Amino acid sequence: MGSPKRLAERAEAGILNARQRIEALLDADSFHESGLFAVSRRPGMADKSPADGVVDGYGRIDGREVIVCAQDFTTLGSSSAINNSNKSMKMWQTAEKNGVPFVYLSECSGARIPDIMGAVGMGSVGEGFIFSRRRLVPWADAVLGMSFGGGTWVASVSDFVVMRKGAVMAVTSPRVNTVAISEQIDPEEMGGWRVQTEITGKADLAVDSDEDALQAIRDYLSYLPSNCEELPPTVAVPSGSGDDGNRILDLVPEERRRTYDVRKVIDLIADRGSMFPIKERFGRSLVTCFARIEGRTVGIIANNPMFKGGALDVDSCDKATSFITTCDSFNVPLIFLADVPGFLIGVEGEHKKVPGKIMNFMQALELTTVPVLSVVMRKSYGQAYINMGGGRSDEMACWFTADISFVDPAVAASIVTGLDPKAEPERFAAAVEEYSLGCSPYDLAGQYLAHDVIDPRDTRQWLARMLEAHQPRRTGGIGAHHMQSWPFTY
Amino acid sequence: MAEIEIKSEIAGKVWLIEAGVGQAVEEEDAVIILESMKMEIPVVAPVSGKITEILVEKDEAVAEGQTVARMEG
Repeated sequence: MGSPKRLAERAEAGILNARQRIEALLDADSFHESGLFAVSRRPGMADKSPADGVVDGYGRIDGREVIVCAQDFTTLGSSSAINNSNKSMKMWQTAEKNGVPFVYLSECSGARIPDIMGAVGMGSVGEGFIFSRRRLVPWADAVLGMSFGGGTWVASVSDFVVMRKGAVMAVTSPRVNTVAISEQIDPEEMGGWRVQTEITGKADLAVDSDEDALQAIRDYLSYLPSNCEELPPTVAVPSGSGDDGNRILDLVPEERRRTYDVRKVIDLIADRGSMFPIKERFGRSLVTCFARIEGRTVGIIANNPMFKGGALDVDSCDKATSFITTCDSFNVPLIFLADVPGFLIGVEGEHKKVPGKIMNFMQALELTTVPVLSVVMRKSYGQAYINMGGGRSDEMACWFTADISFVDPAVAASIVTGLDPKAEPERFAAAVEEYSLGCSPYDLAGQYLAHDVIDPRDTRQWLARMLEAHQPRRTGGIGAHHMQSWPFTY
Repeated sequence: MAEIEIKSEIAGKVWLIEAGVGQAVEEEDAVIILESMKMEIPVVAPVSGKITEILVEKDEAVAEGQTVARMEG
C-alpha cells in the first residue's frame, strides 16, 4: 500500500485501507492474495506501485468462496494501468470460470497518466479491461471513496452497489471536468450517494461507514447462489416468523383512498428480519427487495401506496426491470404484491420514454423462467395490473379486498359520461356505481383468471405452499436465464 | 444543520397539513397530505429534522416538484 503518512491520514478519518477492507469483508483468515508482487510496468515506478494499486485474491464469505479486488487509493490513487487492469480482469474471469461471486471495492482516481497517454497507452491500458459480462456469477461493488473511470465502470456493471456516504461515483474527477469543459463541479452533486441512490438508481444502498458497506455485501450475497447454475442457499427460519400475520388487517386500509407503507406488510409476510431492500430510495412507488419465506430466498416486487399512491413511473419501471433480471439470472422466485392505480402518465413521463419503460418491464416479466407468484392486495388497474403479474403468474391470489378493473370507477365515470361531480352529484354517483360492478376478486376468480381468493392474514402460508408447488423440479430450479446479458442500466 | 426543501413528487390538491412549523419530524414522516389520483398521498420529510416553513394552504393546487415546505435537517 501507500506511504505511512497517507495510511495514517485515512486511519485518522476513520476510513479503512484496502487490506483492512478485505479483512472486514471476508471470513477470518480466509484471504489468499494473488498478484502481491505485481508493480507498474513503467520503468522506475516499481517502488511506488506495490501490487500496482489493487489488492486481489481469494477468500470466503459465510464459508463460500468469493473473489475480491480492492482498489488501494493510497498507491497512485489506484489509477488504472496495464498491470492492475490485467490483475482485475484475470480475477473476474476466474470468478466466472469457477462459478464464485465477484466482489469489487471501488476507490479509483481514474486512468493513470502518463501510462494511458499516446497511441500505445490507449491501445494497452485503455483496451485492457474487457466488459463482456453476462450474469454468470453475482457481482457486488462497494464504492468507498472517490471513484472515477475503472472503479465506476465496474460498479456500473455490477448487480449490487453500496456506497459509503461521502464517496463519489462518476465518469471523471471534478478536476478533469474543470479542465475539459471549464465547469466547476461539486463532486457530491456530480455523483454522491444521494445522486446515485435517488436520481440515477445506480447505487442500491448508501451507508455511513466502510464496515457497514462491507457487511451489506455479505448480507446481499447471502440471498444469492454462488453462480447461475445453483439455487440460492436456504437458511434456518428465525423464530417468530409469521407470528404477527394478523396485523396485516391493521396496516392495510380497506378504503382505496387511504395509503400505507407496504414495507410493513412485507415485514409481516416474510421471515422475521429477512427483508433486504434494493434501490429503496429510487422509484419509491415500487418496493423491490430480497427476503426469505420459510428460509428460502424470494424477490418481492410490491407497489408502495405511500409514495405517488403506488403508481408506476419511469424510475419504478426501470427498477422492476433491473430486479426481475437479477432474480431470473440467479434462480430467485418472484413475488408480486399489487396495489396499483396505474401508470403515472403525463408529459414528463412521455418525454422520458415511459411506454418503452413499461414494455421493458413487461418483456422482462414475459421472459422470466423462475416461478412467479402474485397477490392482488387492493386495487390493480389497467396495463399496470398485467405488469404486476396479472395473468402472467404461475399462481395468482386476490385478497378479498382486491379491486380489478381498467381504471378507477370514478375516472371511468368522468371519461364516459362527462358529468361534473359537483354539478350533478347524484347522476355521477350512479355512474360510479355502475362502473364499480364486476371488479371484485370473485368476478376474476369466477372466470379462473385468478386462482384463489384469500384472507390477507393467510398470505404467508399461501406463498410458502405455492413456492413448494411451483418449484421447477424438472430443471432442479435452474432457469433458462434469457436476460443474462441484458443491460445493467436503462 | 442544512436547510432542505420538501417537494411534492406528484401533482394534487392539499388535503391536510400534518406538520407545523417548529415540529420535529423523522425521515418519511408525512408533512402534507395531497389528494391526487383519488387517493390521499403523503408528502414526506426527506430527512429527520425540524419544519421551518409551510408554503401551501389547504385546498391549494400543487404541481409535481413544487416545494411545499422547508425544514432543517
